[in-house]
Amino acid sequence: MLRHCTLALLALAIMCAPVHATEKYIAAADCYWPPMELLDENKQPAGYSPDFLKALAKAVGIEIEVRNVAWDGIFGGVATGQYDIVSSSVTITEERKKQFDFTDPYYEVVQAVLLPAGQHISSLKDLKGKKVGGQIATTGIFVVRKAEVGAELKEYDDVGLAIEDLLKGRIDAVICDDPVALYYVNKKADTAGKLNISFKTQEKESYGFVVKKGRKDLIEKLNKGIKLLQESGEERRIAEKWLGQAN
Amino acid sequence: MEDKKEGSKANIVMVTDGASIPDPREWRLINAWSIALAGAVCALCMLCVLWPEPYLRILLYLPDGVLITFKITLLAICCAVPLGLITGLGRISRNRCINLLASTYVEVIRGIPLLVQIFYIYYALSRFVQVSGITSAVVAISFCYGAYMGEVFRAGISAINKGQTEAARSLGFNRYQTMRLVVLPQAMRTILPPVGNECIAMLKDTSLVSIMAVPDIMQRARSFVGTTYLYFETYTMVALLYLIITLLLSKAVSIMESRLNYYDAK
Repeated sequence: MLRHCTLALLALAIMCAPVHATEKYIAAADCYWPPMELLDENKQPAGYSPDFLKALAKAVGIEIEVRNVAWDGIFGGVATGQYDIVSSSVTITEERKKQFDFTDPYYEVVQAVLLPAGQHISSLKDLKGKKVGGQIATTGIFVVRKAEVGAELKEYDDVGLAIEDLLKGRIDAVICDDPVALYYVNKKADTAGKLNISFKTQEKESYGFVVKKGRKDLIEKLNKGIKLLQESGEERRIAEKWLGQAN
Repeated sequence: MEDKKEGSKANIVMVTDGASIPDPREWRLINAWSIALAGAVCALCMLCVLWPEPYLRILLYLPDGVLITFKITLLAICCAVPLGLITGLGRISRNRCINLLASTYVEVIRGIPLLVQIFYIYYALSRFVQVSGITSAVVAISFCYGAYMGEVFRAGISAINKGQTEAARSLGFNRYQTMRLVVLPQAMRTILPPVGNECIAMLKDTSLVSIMAVPDIMQRARSFVGTTYLYFETYTMVALLYLIITLLLSKAVSIMESRLNYYDAK
């Protein structure tokens, strides 16, 4: 009897051991937002945010696994607890803050309007009557909607599809975060040279990691990590790796 | 003509995957259809009255999407039904060439998911021809459902007793007249419910076109969720809306069916 009990306890201890070794969190990223989040050749999440999270996890001694999750519904998953963090270039907005908690900012962007090479606009007002595409429920779409310039908004499942339609001439412009716009203008082989960034908004937007409301413990850890990475210069190294040529 | 009742209707069992069309002979007040409709309408009204924020706001956000959904469905029905008839006739044609053509079309289309067809027509074929989101939606759905309806038409036509054709032919009708004046009018009665089914299934499948940035009900809802993050509330309203629309349509098909069966009413 004693032997059985000891064996059972031992088995339990062995099974539990890895769980307690390091805290493991799961992060969701929509990997169609290059170069911030993308899929590498092995279909694994890569890009600025996954690298940033990996470095952050190392710095504060936790474990974070990044998963590819579709943008449409990515917030629903964190609210229902399917994963702990959304690390998908989420701009901190008042609307979003009402529903979720954000970490400190970790990256700053502005909105950029992409046009076919050779075409130009000087303000959002010039988009009046034009068909403007963007990724569904992203801040680019919000900015155009809020500006009320009379543009027809087309909301695509991912920004790549919108760019595809822009190149085909089915829409007149695409709005997205400026690193993404730069990536399509400069780096992506089949779109480079065919597009230009004609206009950028003035208001800076800050990316933050998203967690379920009330998860103070996790926020603290992530904030500590962000601060460590910014102080150690690790952040600059990651930015250079993914955005170097773009910057 | 003595076997009219058994031959044309009773012996045929049609199995389709669409919404179930209520039996027009169903006379009881409480049946699956009325429970579903009353439940859906009550739920919708209750949510909107008790919690106008956010439910009423969601409901008021969707109407333009409903219009687009109807527009795509109606246009697709107008294209798919004739296409289905032609395909069905092609499938029973004795001309080997036409028969092969129709059969291959059905085999190919039925083997490709509608979502893939939509992507293919909108994004892949845009290298050669460029059409708007709504046009490609209508084309994709028509082609897809034309194939399914072709099978329905073929089954309905070949279910008509051979005696009908023989009688018509011996009375001096040519093959075209036999088909148009004798076989098709009889086949219509058996074909209508499954075709109605397919049309309702079509309406439900239009929700796939939101991937082409066409602002139908589903896309409007997703765009609303994108700004408010009210997943539960929004998709509840969308589900109720689709349910009410399809229930009303299936009743309409059922009424049409009973009108067509006027002469062999029991």
